[in-house]
Amino acid sequence: MSQVKRSVSLYSYQDEYYLGKLDLEGCLRETAKTGATGVELLAEQMIKHFPNPIEDEKFREEWFALLKKYNLTPSCYDAFLENRIFGNRMLSVGEQVNMMKRDLRLAKLLGFPEIRTLVSTPMDVIEGSLEYAEELGVKIGLEVHAPFSLNSGWADGYLEMINRTGTKYFGFIPDMGIFCRNIPDVLRDKARQLGAHEECIKIVDDAYAKRVSDGFVKIKYDLDLGKANMEYRMANGMREMMEAVEKAGGNDADKMYAGSSFTYSWSEPQDIIDNIQYITHCHAKFYNVSEDYVETAVAVPEVVAAFKKAGYDGFLSSEYEGGEHLRVYTDVDSIEQVRRHQECLRRAIE
Amino acid sequence: MAARPIYNPDGFCNVEKDGKVIGYQFQFKAQYYRGVTLSIVRDLKVNVDGVDEPRENLRFTVNGETFTLDQMSTVIDPDYRWEFGEYATVTVLRDGGLAKGKHHINALQHIEPSYMPFPIDAVCETDFEI
Repeated sequence: MSQVKRSVSLYSYQDEYYLGKLDLEGCLRETAKTGATGVELLAEQMIKHFPNPIEDEKFREEWFALLKKYNLTPSCYDAFLENRIFGNRMLSVGEQVNMMKRDLRLAKLLGFPEIRTLVSTPMDVIEGSLEYAEELGVKIGLEVHAPFSLNSGWADGYLEMINRTGTKYFGFIPDMGIFCRNIPDVLRDKARQLGAHEECIKIVDDAYAKRVSDGFVKIKYDLDLGKANMEYRMANGMREMMEAVEKAGGNDADKMYAGSSFTYSWSEPQDIIDNIQYITHCHAKFYNVSEDYVETAVAVPEVVAAFKKAGYDGFLSSEYEGGEHLRVYTDVDSIEQVRRHQECLRRAIE
Repeated sequence: MAARPIYNPDGFCNVEKDGKVIGYQFQFKAQYYRGVTLSIVRDLKVNVDGVDEPRENLRFTVNGETFTLDQMSTVIDPDYRWEFGEYATVTVLRDGGLAKGKHHINALQHIEPSYMPFPIDAVCETDFEI
């Protein structure tokens, strides 16, 4: 029997929340209906006047009462280290460490065993927060989101830190967007809606297929994320692809499709097995699950098989992101998408 | 089936003070997925019927407090965030406001979440009537 557990990130329900169709309790209720046992929260998304309510005992009592009512376990708290909260400067390392400690404490107050931090978090800030993380018993997980990947120069920088400090309170949270066999169909549909040409779409799809078969050139470690990202794109043939799109008479929709194709990537699922001792949680990112429970871009069965083979006993947390491509021209049904994705995960796990 | 609404359809109106129309107002939601401090809403651009409104004539209101765009750069209070899914009210100071009848707005939300290598520039367009 596999020990892999299922969770839902409430990020998934953002369109219903935005429209006022679901509130925080509604999201928890929908999560429970899918059969997931874990819940992931973006406090800044669904807790108004962040962070004040979390400091309030009455609010926390209500939170825990809801978790009990819906039989849910907190899986991961998604923190946003707002280190450029002021436009004229980056917060100092000390200020950022204090912000990270605040987030660790807030996560602890709501019962979360882990926070998700973003790739923009400086190494010094992570290191400076480790002792406090250990004191609280709350881990810091770094999201590994396309264009980043495991088994890369970028990831090595963090492994060096883990090995040097011996910490058990820092690890990776792979985002399944790094396991996209193809560009999500919902992005292609949007491009068509906006007037993209079939010829240009084919150029972009073929270039993606070539990157998958050749293997993506990995991104390097650099705190200047814009620079690292641009180098990565160029190393993966962005210029040639853009020129081909231009030559074919590409319009804005074609260029949008071409540029967006670099926000997806393909890594070998073996990367999960190689790095399992450092993996603390997983964002099961998805874009569109069909009626027969097949995700149209992410290689869910292969990735879940790798987690099982590696003996993973943590959560796979559904994170629906297809809505961003639909909402510009049509309705989004996150509730149905999450339901299907949870079923897709369940089938792969059991 | 249509795009997700951004503007409050009932939020467009002229604003009166001391019996004089001093400008007009609209309400819209941030095109991002979480609530943010006003300090990272680094710019707004408003164009109505093809005319750009001067930045210094814009006022931004959340939770009953009103700020200029320059003032917003230092607003980090938890009670005055642009909450996810909630309307902020923008007042455009313009003597006489807008004429009764149909108009078109094109507003840009420029938001800079710290982790993003590229900022969000959300173009928000709609027709409306005063």
